[in-house]
Amino acid sequence: MLTCIQSGRVIDPANRRDEVGDVWMHDGRIVDAPQGAKADQTFDATGKIVMAGAIDIHSHIAGANENMGRLMRPEMHHPGHEAAPVPFPFSDAVSSTFATGCRYAEMGFTFVVEPAVAPRQALQAHLELADIPIIDKATLAVLGNDDFLLDLMRKRESPDAVRNYVAWTLATSRSLGIKVVNPGGAAAFKANARAFGLDDIVPFYGVSSRAIVKALQRAVHELGVPHPLHVHCNNLGLAGNVDTALATIAAAEGLPLHLAHLQFYGYGREGECGFSSAGARLAEAVNGAKSVTVDVGQVMFGDTVTISSDVLRQFNARQQARPRKWAIIEGDGNGGGIVPYRYRADDFYNAVQWAVGLELFLLIDDPWRVFFTTDHPNGAPFTAYPDIFALLMSHELRAQWISSLPAAAMEVTTLASIRREYTFNEIATMTRAAPAKLFGLSDRGHLGAGAVADIAVYENDNDRAKMFRSAALVFKGGDLVVRDGNITQYRFGRALTVRPGQDRAIERRLADYYDARYGLRHDFMKVPDNALGRPDPFELVPCAD
Amino acid sequence: MDRGGIDHAGVGRAWIDGRPATLDAAAAEAGRLLADSRLPVIAGLGTDVAGARAAIALAERLGGAVDHMHAGQLLRDLDIVREARVMLTTPNEARVRADTVLLVGPDLSVAWPDLAPRLLDAPMGHEVVDGARHVFALCPGRSPVKRARETIEAIGRNAGELPDVLAALRARLAGRPVGKLSVSAKRLDALATALQAARFGVVVWSSASLDALSIEMLCGLVADLNARTRFSGLPLAPADNAAGVLQVCGWMTGFPMRTGFGRGSSEHDPWRFDAVRMVESGEADCALWISAYRSAPPPWTRKLPTIVLGAVDVDASNASHVHIAVGRPSIDHDAVEYLAATGTLAAIVASKKNDSLSVADAIGRIAAHLRPDDRPC
Repeated sequence: MLTCIQSGRVIDPANRRDEVGDVWMHDGRIVDAPQGAKADQTFDATGKIVMAGAIDIHSHIAGANENMGRLMRPEMHHPGHEAAPVPFPFSDAVSSTFATGCRYAEMGFTFVVEPAVAPRQALQAHLELADIPIIDKATLAVLGNDDFLLDLMRKRESPDAVRNYVAWTLATSRSLGIKVVNPGGAAAFKANARAFGLDDIVPFYGVSSRAIVKALQRAVHELGVPHPLHVHCNNLGLAGNVDTALATIAAAEGLPLHLAHLQFYGYGREGECGFSSAGARLAEAVNGAKSVTVDVGQVMFGDTVTISSDVLRQFNARQQARPRKWAIIEGDGNGGGIVPYRYRADDFYNAVQWAVGLELFLLIDDPWRVFFTTDHPNGAPFTAYPDIFALLMSHELRAQWISSLPAAAMEVTTLASIRREYTFNEIATMTRAAPAKLFGLSDRGHLGAGAVADIAVYENDNDRAKMFRSAALVFKGGDLVVRDGNITQYRFGRALTVRPGQDRAIERRLADYYDARYGLRHDFMKVPDNALGRPDPFELVPCAD
Repeated sequence: MDRGGIDHAGVGRAWIDGRPATLDAAAAEAGRLLADSRLPVIAGLGTDVAGARAAIALAERLGGAVDHMHAGQLLRDLDIVREARVMLTTPNEARVRADTVLLVGPDLSVAWPDLAPRLLDAPMGHEVVDGARHVFALCPGRSPVKRARETIEAIGRNAGELPDVLAALRARLAGRPVGKLSVSAKRLDALATALQAARFGVVVWSSASLDALSIEMLCGLVADLNARTRFSGLPLAPADNAAGVLQVCGWMTGFPMRTGFGRGSSEHDPWRFDAVRMVESGEADCALWISAYRSAPPPWTRKLPTIVLGAVDVDASNASHVHIAVGRPSIDHDAVEYLAATGTLAAIVASKKNDSLSVADAIGRIAAHLRPDDRPC
């Protein structure tokens, strides 16, 4: 079927297009305007904004830790209105996989990456993703606190061994990339360390956090995996931790490296409370390090649950739990911690955190290298995104918020002095074109011929939050899935994966390892297609040669 | 576990009111009973992940409720997560790291028959400096866990003493005085000292034999120990894939089992959606009972229209109006289920693969006979 979205303002930075015009699609793909052909179906987008479907590169939406977060907080699940039949199964079950797909689609998102899957929990993560309707999704596999890798490094084995192990992990866990979370910190915590920095040494293994980052960065790069190593640095959330982030940025040494939720590392020790924004310093460092990409992890005020594979950090944060309950899970590699938290607008520290995130968005000058996240649900639930778009696009709105926040907090940030306002083109770059590039996806994040027909159409409403909260139209793979902010049908997307080549010898070695150490077959963590209950659940993204 | 003489050719058979029927006729009759029901309850839920997904989706479509035969036990552990704090570890991590293990309460080797070989007697990881493992048992009752070579030191005997002994132990760890107990103060203090000396200790319990307050006390004790050293908990999962079904219910609905859909969206209430209460009180007027791992019968006494998806096709003539025999997950058909050895969901290739029906297949056939409904299920 030939479909045309007519006369909208088409904003497509990947193809340098920003003009009033049409977008055509056929059989789920975008096509060039056909000569003389008549559309079978047309949608009038006059006065509206047309963009590719948005991509969220870092959002904790699936996996055992996320599920523990759901089960821990039954009190958060009230849908906020009187119980009434819902049009689609579980679409109002707050925090359920089904609601996750619906809420993302309603905002015009069509692809979301779950960034922290322990390889041994990959099957559960993919089962959860399979029950997220509408959108495409992917996982990043977490390495860097696992005994097998640390032992390779302890024995000073060659980079080849690390590379083969990384390739095997990507293939087995059906992931799109590799993440490292507080490298070495979880392993050190098992040996009773209570703090862990970039140049600290993991007990027994004798390797530093820095060495783990460098080994994984190199392996991912040499394998040709499009997404660079995704790093959750040490010392998350601590005053003065900007030094850790700056040192990690420097450690990229010109090779690609992605730093996650940088806001949580943007803290200095200035001011009366010994806690201040270092957002400006950090942004300057990112601007100068062209091989580095970052996402923000913006904080917004309200109730949330922090869910992290950084078990050491979560253990140290347990006393801040609101309400006062928490779970710390000592996993085979990283494990995780689930700590409910309430960000308060009248709290000095939380107000500084809010400002740091916005400083990073506004002071990092290249929208191709700074990505839009709240580290859902850690900084805020992803449903807060529309309010953040509004803040980025209006200096005046920010000024209103600033005037209601603790003055002492605003004094230790530069936010009030920043006048920059994001344009639609920059928003589309940051949430569409750049994320597709970051994951090596040639057929997503843009509206050129051949792209998957993932399209979001918005009313051009001066209330930007309202505009981005409920898209006028959303197409996923050419199917109309949202109209006037409401879901029109369930369909199921796929999980994107990479499968770089590996030396088969690693398979034999891992079999011996799992047998000797755990008395288990090494394939207990496999994720077979037919276990997921959806047809054709995976899509392979090519690696560089 | 063998099927006790039931031959595989019998799998896939079905009965209506005790008389053999075709699978289609049985599925149609099941569909009619469910469609005519005002409030159906889907209970038992002894099934694999695919079966749980299908059952929960069916309950949502019907506006019914879901419960699991071991939900009461599961919720005792989960209540601590929902109301207090827990520090947990995996069976693998306990195996390679635990230099000190505290077994709490009776019947642990019933809850996990492989407890001794997989954990207590297994070699420790190379990263552990001193490879010796010290094991203590708190109130183990009359059938304590046994190690292959070494002995396990028992402190307290009867499970009935456990709440008092646990409270006293936690008090001694905090340096507080305790009153007179059946366990001597000296032994209690020696245990407290041993736990504090652990480098990575693990507490093992089964909520089958512990009440909620004892589990909370135990989790508090673990949290206290982490002020100085490392300690973690390993609760043993109930049978019938209860922990796997819990995960599915969590991601699909946001809630554990004992969740209802009668008012449109998911609502969780451990009392309201207790299947036994719903049936005995007359609130539920139709039951779909699922027990694919073994032929556990429904635990209620009141008669009501009942559909059984059961592992073994005997007793088909009794309580149920419709009985469909299904295969055992991971034996008769491939399945995803919770694996006690790893504490994760795992995809298991069937050990005696045959063409028996899975719970998901059976529910799919029943759902096909429901009234037209444009919702995807």
